[in-house]
Formats: sequence, structure tokens, C-alpha cells
Amino acid sequence: MEAIAENTAKVDNMIDTKKDVQNNSPESADLSNLETVGIPFSDNAKMSMRDVDVFYGDKQAIHGVGLDIGQNEVLAMIGPSGCGKSTFLRCLNRMNDTIDICKVTGSLQLEGQDIYDPKLDVVPLRARVGMVFQKPNPFPKSIYDNVAYGPRIHGLVSRRAELDEIVETSLQRAGLWNEVKDRLHAPGTGLSGGQQQRLCIARTIAVSPEVILMDEPCSALDPIATAKIEELIAELSENFTIAIVTHSMQQAARVSNRTAYFHLGKLVEVNETEKVFTNPDHSLTEAYITGRFG
Amino acid sequence: MDKLNLDQHISQQFNADLEDLKTQLLEMGGLVEQQTINAVNAITTADSDLAERVIITEEEVDHREMKLDENCTMVLARRQPAASDLRMVLAVAKITRDLERMGDEAHKIAKMSMHLTEDGEAPRGYVELRHIGSIVHQMVITSLDSFARFDVDLAVKVAQEDKKVDQEYKSAMRELITYMMEDPRSISRVMNIIWALRALERIGDHARNIAEHVIYLVKGLDVRHISVKEMERQLQQN
Amino acid sequence: MASAPENQKTIELVNQNLAKRYRAEKRFRAYGIASIGFGLLCLLFLFTDIIGKGHTAFLTTYVKLNVELSTDALDIYDVNDPQQIAGADYQGVLKKALRERFPEVTGRRDKRALYGIVSSGAGFEIRTLIEQQPELLNTTLDLWVLADDDYDTYYKSRSSDEGAYTGRFNEKQISWIETLIADGAVEKRLNTTFFNAGDSREPEQAGIRGAIMGSLFTLLVTLALSFPIGVASAVYLEEYAKKNKFTDFIEVNINNLAAVPSIIFGLLGLAIFINFFEMPRSIPLVGGFVLTLMTLPTIIISSRAAIKAVPPSIREAAMGIGASKMQVILHHVLPLAMPGMLTGAIIGMAQALGETAPLLMIGMVAFIVDVPGSISDPSTVLPVQIFLWSDSPERAFVEKTSAAIMVLLGFLIIMNTLAVWLRKRLERRW
Repeated sequence: MEAIAENTAKVDNMIDTKKDVQNNSPESADLSNLETVGIPFSDNAKMSMRDVDVFYGDKQAIHGVGLDIGQNEVLAMIGPSGCGKSTFLRCLNRMNDTIDICKVTGSLQLEGQDIYDPKLDVVPLRARVGMVFQKPNPFPKSIYDNVAYGPRIHGLVSRRAELDEIVETSLQRAGLWNEVKDRLHAPGTGLSGGQQQRLCIARTIAVSPEVILMDEPCSALDPIATAKIEELIAELSENFTIAIVTHSMQQAARVSNRTAYFHLGKLVEVNETEKVFTNPDHSLTEAYITGRFG
Repeated sequence: MDKLNLDQHISQQFNADLEDLKTQLLEMGGLVEQQTINAVNAITTADSDLAERVIITEEEVDHREMKLDENCTMVLARRQPAASDLRMVLAVAKITRDLERMGDEAHKIAKMSMHLTEDGEAPRGYVELRHIGSIVHQMVITSLDSFARFDVDLAVKVAQEDKKVDQEYKSAMRELITYMMEDPRSISRVMNIIWALRALERIGDHARNIAEHVIYLVKGLDVRHISVKEMERQLQQN
Repeated sequence: MASAPENQKTIELVNQNLAKRYRAEKRFRAYGIASIGFGLLCLLFLFTDIIGKGHTAFLTTYVKLNVELSTDALDIYDVNDPQQIAGADYQGVLKKALRERFPEVTGRRDKRALYGIVSSGAGFEIRTLIEQQPELLNTTLDLWVLADDDYDTYYKSRSSDEGAYTGRFNEKQISWIETLIADGAVEKRLNTTFFNAGDSREPEQAGIRGAIMGSLFTLLVTLALSFPIGVASAVYLEEYAKKNKFTDFIEVNINNLAAVPSIIFGLLGLAIFINFFEMPRSIPLVGGFVLTLMTLPTIIISSRAAIKAVPPSIREAAMGIGASKMQVILHHVLPLAMPGMLTGAIIGMAQALGETAPLLMIGMVAFIVDVPGSISDPSTVLPVQIFLWSDSPERAFVEKTSAAIMVLLGFLIIMNTLAVWLRKRLERRW
């Protein structure tokens, strides 16, 4: 049909004009005086970080990050590999202390208390800010002992019955109770990957932390186990404040209230998750979540 | 505008998929635009061949709508697009729907033109029809242009034009109704013109919808169901 | 995409090279098999040699004599006096029995040679017998008594392919023993002396009990010192020490010490423990100290490797729920590292068990007849005993040496098996 041919020519013309439209590519963006866009701060902050710099020896891994994690919020941190999101997460309960060359400056507060205060003991801090790791890492002990370990070392219970109760409630909250109640004394390492990760979550919540940090908790799991963990995160957010680092943008979109985008050690954007995934404010965020660079 | 770099994905196939959507949509838009102008010409020049062509083209438009829908679904399922890509796919799906409706309306106009050829020429309304037809045709072109270039300014222009079309339509209506009251014998023929005018006005509304989708696509702003002034204000704020 | 004919060509080329590749692979495997075969052959040779030479040492020759245990001959006046019983002339009655057995022998020299048929220790056996059964006094009975090592060697080698080993024998001596053999008055019995006695100048009376006990005490001291010290050092170096020049220096030195010749440790022990602290020579305590110095690097290195092998995820998990450093180490790191550390310790102990040189320097090479009863009694150890016996001129010590080597190898095999078993048993997957 001639009309179609004619139109196609017209369309080609239109498409050609597009070339003029595109301008700055994400790689060429200037990062030197980047300021975080969106809503990094919260009125109801559980943890509050300002001007955080992290150095590994001479190399600066985090540049002046300011961010709040709100009470009972699920905050997702996304960004390309090496962007500093895991490093930042590990600062929040001082897991970076184990690395000699790692130095953290700036203000990091948990309910107004400086967590990098030299006088502060990391042991109670880590009891308040628990962590779940990328690879499920149950202790090579029984399921019961895995969950009971935290309460035991912190002396949370005096009687066996109390400990039993903590173990049961923790496993229930982690959605694992029905699967393991008949074999509490079987080794934790004998569970499937997803179960192991839920066991690790149960172990973390057994000490009743206020904040749970999750470092790519589903990256080693299959989609069904991942769905279970995500469901669990939604339930846990009623009682805990959760910060989660993830490589899966869909996961961040599914579980979080707010999403923070890190790029080359800088916090580029923090916004409501819905906003980030439909219409992010910063072009770098846009470029990352639409898969324009990785 | 600055964010829609459709050809910069890591996945070349994704680039191609999105580019494909855009091209197909613009091709479909071209068809509908042609339908619109042909339908108006058919009725004003009483050219039944032209009307026939509009009616035949309708099938092609329907077919393209289905094809585009399928492609949108495919991209959604396979790529899980986010942000601008997501808005792009959503906008294409919605614009497709509007274009198909516009095609339907053009089809209606062509039918009215056939009726008029059978019943004899209407005594009045051809001037209004030609005038509104040219404005609406321009709107269709502009809205498609705004999509092709991701140009918000052009989209706003379409919304402004739509307001004009509404006014023109109202005054034409008033005039034709007055005429019918004076000469009740012509009612059936004038009604055909009124139906055609009504269809044109609907096409204008759909063009405005397309413009609104373009604004959503480019700016991420939902500007539906608000006045043009409010739309301009929001765009300025953004 | 390569076109079809080109594909064909690629496959042909691949097929051409295939045979060559297979040959290379077979050759590669053959090298390995050859190496292992060579090792096994050496081992087989060693074992056949040692076992061939040594197995006879577990039997010893006894001679039957008609002995008259009269109190007169034994010089016992009062049967109830234990001192008299202990000091009686048992060798005398044996000589008398021999004279009566071979009445044709006259002349001092021949008689002395005749008396040599029985071991100089045979009298003690009769004494033990009398002490246990005093009612045998004043009776005459057939007794099996221990033969001298020359006759033992002769008797054992009689049936061998090379013929009997006659050594220093003259024809008379051969005729005596042949007479006895013809009478059925010679037989081989299990050599309990070898396992129950200490060292002796007389091969037929020499045993390895003293050396085994010496080794045992020495190793106990070594284990008690080197395992805790080694593990503690390894834990500190791995978990607490900051990574700097000084710890690098320590690490290099530990690795160096593991390669230092063991005799240097002997010299060190001599200088420190014996010269400076003036500890007695030849005692297992000092031997243990010296061997501790020697095995420490091995234990530290293997313990550090075991600690390093504990997955960091377990440490992180424990720290993540707020375990302190010490809790992480005691609850998680050490239990997981224990199999590796124990294996290292056992291998270190096996090394210490086979060590000779440093012990020579601290005087554990002395000729010690008594079986040591504690870590402060002078003693010798198995490898040193082997060294001493291999140096002795008596023919009969050849088989004793080999037998002692067999015992030593037996202990080493037991220890290494224990190491493997422990690792298998304690190793847990995570």
C-alpha cells in the first residue's frame, strides 16, 4: 500500500531527528561534585549517617555519604559492583573493624549514639545491629544450637525452657519452624540453601536486634527460596528496621520502601522505591536500573 | 528528553526491541493520520473511493494494534523494563490503543461519507468539517511528532489545540442544531455531518491522550484529567 | 560462522592430532605410575630387607639341660634366706650340667668354650624359677635355658640357603651343638626378653623396652609442651597479630626453623638446658625440650594453615551476632581447625619419634641397661637404640637392629594412621 510506504519514509525522518535529542551519556557524567538527590533523610530515623568516608588504605571507597534509615523501614541499596554499597552496609555494625586498613570517618549514629565512638563496645552494637550474609553460613552445629548461640553468648536467658522458647519463636518468625521442628538437633549445614539462609535469619533475630543488615541475602538462592526470603523480609519489617544490599533490582523493587543508588562510592539518589523504578531523578540511577551500563 | 537514550542499553537486543516498538508505533500512527485526512477529504469531496480506502485501511490498523500489543507484552515479559524503558513500553501500549480508537473514528467518518453519497449532500457543515478536520489532522501529526522526538513542548501544543477544537466543535454544533430546527427535512443528512464532527472531535481527544502519554513517557508526570493550564504549571515545576 | 567445507577441515585436523594427544596423555600418566612404582619398589625392598633380617629376632634359641638344683651345688645353707637364694651360684650348676652332658670335654680352654653354650644371663632365669618355686630345690630336672647368641645365630642360620653361620666356632663347638640338636635338646621360643629387657652387651639379653619407654616419656614431654605452645602461637599470629614487618619477620623465621637441621636443635638444647640450666644429661625431660623446639615450627605452620582454612563466613557469622573475638576463636575457629592441628601435631610427633641427631647431643646415646621409670631417669630412645645396635660388632645384633626398626616403623604407622583417622573423624563439612 502506497500510504504505508509513504509513512515509513516519514517515520525514518522522524527517527533521524532522535540523534539530536540524545546528549549526555551516563559514563560522561561528572561525579566530582555530585550531590545526593531525592530524599536521603528521614524524620523518623533509626540510624543516621552523615558525611561518611571510608578508606581502604589510600583508596577511598565511600565519599561523603549522608543517609538515614527510618524506623521499621526496608531500605534497599543498589549499584554496580564496587560501588561501595556492601562496604557502607558493613560500616553500620562495624564489621569492617576486622580489616586493618579500613578507616571510617564521619558521623554514624544509632538512635543518636555514635557507633564509631572508641569507647563503644562492638559486641552490644552487633547485638543491636545484626547481619545476614551473602552466602548462607550456618555454624557446623545443630539447628537448635545455631539459633541458641546468640542468646547463649549474650546471656539473654537463664533457663533451658526460655532458650527453647526463643529458638522456637525465632524459627517461627523466620518461617522455618514447620520444616525443622522434628529435627532441631540435626546439623544446620544439612538444610537446603534457602533453609540455611532462613536459619541464619532466625539466628540473627534470636538476639532481638533493632536493625538487620542483609548483604545480598538471596544471591546464592534459587527463585523459590528467594521469594520466601523476600516474603520474610516484608514480615520482619513490622518489627525490625532492615537495610538490604542487593544486586537484583527487581528484588529491591519488590521488598523495599526506599531505594538508595550508589555509584563509585557516592550516594547518587535515594527515593521512594516506586519513584526510583518508574521515574528516577538522577540520570545515573536511570542508566543503571534500565541496564544502560553495569 | 535527556534521559531517553533508547540505544544505550548493554543488551543490543533490548535496544533493538525498543527501537522496533517505536518504529512500529510511528508506522501505525502514519496509517491513522492518513486515515484521518482521507476520511475528512472523502466526506468533503464526496469521494466514495477514498472512503472505501479508509474502511479497508482500518483492518490494517487493527492488525497493527494487535501486533504492537504482542510486542509490548514480549518486552515486558522478557526484559522487565524499569524507569524510562518501563514508561516507554507503557506509553507505546496506551498510544496504540488511542491510535486504534482514532482509526475507528476515521472509519466512522468514512461511513458517514458513504451515507451522504447515498442520501445526497448535506446542506450545511462542510466548512466546519474541513476547518476542524485540518486542525485535528495537524494535532495528530503533532502528537506523533512529539512522540517521535520525545518533545514535551509539542505535546503541550497538542493539548492547547484540543481546547480549540472543543470550542470550534461546540460552535459548529450550535449552528447545525439551529439549522436543523429551521429545516427539519435536512435533519437526517445534517445528522451525518454531526456524527462526523463528533468523530473528529474524538480523534482530537485521542491525540491529546497521546500527547499526555508522551509527557508521561518523557517526564514521568501523570497529566491526565487536568486543565491545560495546570499541565503547563506542573511541567514548569518539573 | 565457518562454512561447511571449512568445518570439515577443522574436524579432520582435530582427528589428526587426536592420536598424538592421546599418546601424550598416556605418557603423562605413565610417568606418574612409574614414579609411584619406583617408590613402592624402594619401600618393598626396605621392608623385605628389614623383615627378612629382623623377623628371626622375635624368636630365640633355648637349650635343654639336665640340671641338678642341689643346695650344696648352689651354695645355699638356709633355704629361707632370700639373700642366699638371690646370691646362689646358678651359673655353677649350669656349668656342672654341661660338663655332665659332655663328659668327653677336658681341658680348661675347651671347658670354657663349652660353658659358652648357655647365655651368661641363663643363671638369672633359674634364680627366678627358684624364687617362685622353692620346692624345686634339691631336685634334678630338665630345664630349657637361654643359649648364647653365637649358638643362637648358628641354629637360626642352619636351615638357610647359605648354610650355617659358623663365625668364631671351632669344630668342637659345632659338634656339641649338633649333638644337642640331634638329641632334640635345642629349640626356638618366643623372645620375650626382646620386649621386656633393657639394653645389654649380650645380644640374647638385649631388649628394647628401655628405648620404648624412653621414647614414650620423651614424646609425652614433647607433646605436652609443643601442642599448647604451637596452637597458642598459631592462634595469636593468625587472629591477633597485626600484619606488619615484625610479624612478617616472625613468619619467615618460623618457616626457616622448620628447615633447620635437627642437630642444630641438639646443640641448642645442649647449650641451654644442660650447660646453662645444668640439667642432667640423657633424660627424657631434656630430650622432650629439645624435640619441642624442633617440632614447634611444624606444629605452628600446620596449625596456622588449619586456622586459615576455617571459612571466613563462619567468623563473620559469629561476629555478626556479636560474639567477641575470644568467643569466635574458642567456639568456632578452634573446633573447626582442630583436625588439621591434631594432624600436624601427630605428624610432628612422628617426626620427633624418629629423630636421632639432636638427642645424640644431649647424651641420650648412652648405654643404659635399666628401663626408665620416669622422665628424669637416664634413658635412650628407639632410633638411638637402633643406631647403637647397628654399631655393635656381634652378629646377633644385626637381627636385633632390624627388629627394632620394625618396632619403630610400627609405631610410626600407628601414629600416622591415627592422624588420618582423626582427620576423617573430626573433619566436618560446612
